[in-house]
Amino acid sequence: MLITDKILGDKLEGAEVAGRSLWKDARRRYLRNKAAVFFTIVLILIALFTVFGPLIAVTDHETIDFSMIGRAAQSGQPSISNGHYFGYDDQGRDLYSRVIQGTWISLLVGVVGAAVAVVIGTLYGAIAGYFGGRVDSIMMRIVDILMAIPFMFVLILLLVTFERSIAMLFVGIGMLSWLGMARIVRGQTISIKNKEFIEAAQASGVGSFTIILRHIVPNLLGVVTVYATLLVPEMILTESFISFVGLGVQPPDTSLGQLINVGAGNLHYGTIWQFLFPLGFFVVLIFSLFFVGDGLRDALDPKDR
Amino acid sequence: MTLNFKSLTAMLTATTMLAGPVLAAGTHPETGEALSDNQTFTYRILDEHSSVDPGIAEDVSGAEVIRDLFEGLMNQDENGNLVPGVATGFTTNDEKNVYTFTLRPEAMWSNGTPVTAHDFVFAWRRAADPVTASPYAWYVELMSIENAAAVIAGEMATDTLGVTALDDHTLEVRLSTSLPYFPLMTTHTTTFPVPQAVVEEFGADWTKPENIVSNGAYVLTEHIPQERSVRERNANYWNNDATIIEKVVTLVINDDNTALTRWKAGELDRTEIPTGQYPSLNEEYPGEALAFPRLCNYYYTFNLSEGGPEAFQDVRVRQALSYAVDRSIVTDQVLQGGQVAAFTFTPGATANFTVPDVAFGQMTQAERNAAAVELMAEAGYGPDNPLAFELVYNTSEAHAQIATVLAQMWKQTLGVEVTQNNMEWQVFLEERGNQNFELARGAWCGDYNEASTFLDLLDSSSGYNDGKYNNPEVDALLAAAKTMADPSENYTRIEEILADQMPVIPVYHYSGNMMLNDEIRNWPVQNVEQNWYSRNLYRVDN
Amino acid sequence: MIKFILRRIAVAIPTLFILSVVTFFLMHAAPGGPFNSERPLPASVMANINAKYGLDQPLWQQLFTYLKGVVTAFDFGPSYKFKDRTVNDIIAQGFPVTLTYGFWSFIVATVCGISLGVAAAVRHNSFLDYFAVGISVGAQVLPNFVMAPLLLWLFTLTLGWLPGGGWDGGGFKNLVMPVIALSTSYMASIARLTRSSMLEVLNSNFIRTARAKGLSNTKIIFSHAIKPALLPVISYLGPAFVGMITGSVVIDTFFSTGGIGQAFVNSAFSRDYSVMMGITILVGALTITFNMVADILYAWIDPKVRL
Repeated sequence: MLITDKILGDKLEGAEVAGRSLWKDARRRYLRNKAAVFFTIVLILIALFTVFGPLIAVTDHETIDFSMIGRAAQSGQPSISNGHYFGYDDQGRDLYSRVIQGTWISLLVGVVGAAVAVVIGTLYGAIAGYFGGRVDSIMMRIVDILMAIPFMFVLILLLVTFERSIAMLFVGIGMLSWLGMARIVRGQTISIKNKEFIEAAQASGVGSFTIILRHIVPNLLGVVTVYATLLVPEMILTESFISFVGLGVQPPDTSLGQLINVGAGNLHYGTIWQFLFPLGFFVVLIFSLFFVGDGLRDALDPKDR
Repeated sequence: MTLNFKSLTAMLTATTMLAGPVLAAGTHPETGEALSDNQTFTYRILDEHSSVDPGIAEDVSGAEVIRDLFEGLMNQDENGNLVPGVATGFTTNDEKNVYTFTLRPEAMWSNGTPVTAHDFVFAWRRAADPVTASPYAWYVELMSIENAAAVIAGEMATDTLGVTALDDHTLEVRLSTSLPYFPLMTTHTTTFPVPQAVVEEFGADWTKPENIVSNGAYVLTEHIPQERSVRERNANYWNNDATIIEKVVTLVINDDNTALTRWKAGELDRTEIPTGQYPSLNEEYPGEALAFPRLCNYYYTFNLSEGGPEAFQDVRVRQALSYAVDRSIVTDQVLQGGQVAAFTFTPGATANFTVPDVAFGQMTQAERNAAAVELMAEAGYGPDNPLAFELVYNTSEAHAQIATVLAQMWKQTLGVEVTQNNMEWQVFLEERGNQNFELARGAWCGDYNEASTFLDLLDSSSGYNDGKYNNPEVDALLAAAKTMADPSENYTRIEEILADQMPVIPVYHYSGNMMLNDEIRNWPVQNVEQNWYSRNLYRVDN
Repeated sequence: MIKFILRRIAVAIPTLFILSVVTFFLMHAAPGGPFNSERPLPASVMANINAKYGLDQPLWQQLFTYLKGVVTAFDFGPSYKFKDRTVNDIIAQGFPVTLTYGFWSFIVATVCGISLGVAAAVRHNSFLDYFAVGISVGAQVLPNFVMAPLLLWLFTLTLGWLPGGGWDGGGFKNLVMPVIALSTSYMASIARLTRSSMLEVLNSNFIRTARAKGLSNTKIIFSHAIKPALLPVISYLGPAFVGMITGSVVIDTFFSTGGIGQAFVNSAFSRDYSVMMGITILVGALTITFNMVADILYAWIDPKVRL
């Protein structure tokens, strides 16, 4: 699934690391990109919605209106007047609250999964790149081996073996997606490590790990940010696939993937809103993340306009 | 004690009628309906069947195929009554521990060799043989055949098993105990004959379409695993003339909704109805959406073992939780497929079982809720000391729906905090079997049509008693029932005890739900075990 | 080149070994077993079964026996769930199915994706460009488990053109929906990739030089620009093909095609250890092969890269 790794790596490996003005430049370039700005705003709105949306919900995501169970198709349509803006689900729950909750979980899976990948991948790649030689070739050989493992199969296996929980999902997704990150970071590190400021640090007797953490990692932030933004939608798509297989989050909690899956199953049964609302949020969310990621890449990678 | 069979004469009449100038695609011999030229029946199964080897198969969809391909000593008719199969009848002694079956001489294997008592002896020994390692070997033990347990354990040779061919057409079965309902058990696929020569020649490959030899109304002609299997009329079947359906096709379709789409598109004759869709489908396709009682229950079991939660040791808590379940919401709104609200463990559809009027079943839901609140308060749980527990069930949309609804009922009526733990099937079995749970989902389908198949689950020595309910009185009543001429009184008493002690929360009793093309006729809706035979079906043109 | 392949194979063998060991122990660590069911089997029956399949031996010995069978006889063992089949049978039946619709999806995704991407880049900022970007982003966000029921609704229920599933030996009608559902999101990724790298190439110096020399636009695109523009696409093809093989879970579920995706998920849930192992190793080997093929292609197109 990690489709962007290699391409991005190829692109970034050649990129020179600019001085301090990089961030200012980048911001200017980013703000000029209308699509990216627009979708950043959308993304912020979605995030705000998951925080403040529950304030105007009639019930929370798990409360059941018993009279509405199994009556969604007849009388559970979306309605402004009764406060169930997105209608009911089949178990008589408020779909509005459930979509908010699902969006929240999906975002969480995306962000936490990407964060795990970023932390492991950055450290691993920076260490390999900095030390070079034997260490590097062994560490990268390990990455090559891991890359040959069918990612999705192992994720399913992990969730089956260890009791499934949202924490396991984070760990599983994160653990298996740091590989691309590690490769890119290693490439970048190699191009930085012979710069004067690193040599200066080495000459003044700073320890290797301090150099990595204090001097190398901060200079990789651009690459890391871009890559992380592109990872988030992939994590969300992965989670939706895992939900489809039946290993997603525990009820009564839900994720967008689960809601869409249920909605798609009920497609012919006259409850189309159960499909359209979660799908709408899902599409807009992924769309926004793609455009923001693209925008960041264009802004932070001066070679490519 | 030889049995006479009405339907046997009916079949013979049918045979003679067919011998007349009736074409294959003519009219039905009994009803006179015009038959379709296309006598194919196509149905959907959820998962690939594990095997079509009678001695080994362990799943329902495998058994359905095997009942078409093979024929045992006895069969069931559309009402679940016993009718002759390969055996024309049987006699038994006064102790009811020796049964002698007479086999019909005209019974043939599909390769033209006769079916003999030796084939049954071979099949039964093979099923029990440790070398076969059949997961259904326990069925031979369940039938109480002499030495079965020792043979399975490998302590005695297979030829010591209590089954003997007195001659080619006489089979004697010796039991270790008196078993009045033994003949009922011979309709089960594990007891079906297998062709010794073919099994020995091909080994595990003998059930492949190119090798298989069978004695039922159909032979297996095609099998593409995970996709389809096809069986066609067996010309050597002894009652072949009465068979109307020419070809039966099984399609594996994993997704319920896809299956329904394909049924609507006319690619299938039969499929299951997705949860909650019965009423609208019944409206859209009147007469094609079927709902009928099944021999299965659905319940939640408390963990009453030492390691279980202390709260559940208090009978008032158990009663309160059971009372607060509004079963009509589950049956009428969640499932909506003709399921029956359950206040007893045994389904009302079970033969010779009358549902006793247990007290809490007579109350209205409002009364039950009020009683539940009171019981909970008496037990010392309330707003400042809420009861909290974990509910486990295995991953499935339908189980999740029911668990979610019940958890909310308990929360909204009693202020109980329920954590749901939805486990993958294998994990669930492991945890429940080892009493690593607080409240767990359970369901049971009767092995045979008698109340003890359900109530035995609550026997303290039963391996299926996952909640470890232990009541010597229930054990004694069950033990006594085994040898009683009419045990129904004991069963009623046990249900009354259960309603009082509430070791389990009965939720509902199953119904069979399916979409069946109305061109397919004679589906045995009255057979609560749903043992159906394709040779009894027929197709008309609408 | 041969040295490169040999080196890759030398790495592949330990990789597959590690993969099978890890899978083996993960699997056996999972709760339950292939013969657990709603009715717990009596101890004597369970003992017979364990003895038959060698499950009563210590784990390391089971692993050794298994690996020995794989290496010496290419025997992946019996299926525990499907008693009349071996893992070899199951793979021999399901893999060609997955490979067939995977192959066609791959062709469709590559051909359509590249054409769309090139067209969009050549007509940069035109209606065609926006259209291509629009559908490719749209297609990428629509998961295939959403596409599948929509396709069924359209082609089977409403129009009645296509059968709602089945394989039928890979007939055209049975291929259409699986291929659409599986290829769409990959086509979209390929289109986006092609477009952006094509744009980059078209703005580069050597293309400007070519234009200055007065070469025709068609000639520039097809004989100069396309080859370098496809480089990033090629490194994507390996993972994409493997993704299609794994994605077959969804296809098999909705279209009842009977490929190995469904077989894998079912075996994971029913703890059919040997089937799970067999498919994992197979897909692992495929992943390695495809990454290698992609690297060779890459070197062939880009002379700067030496194998």
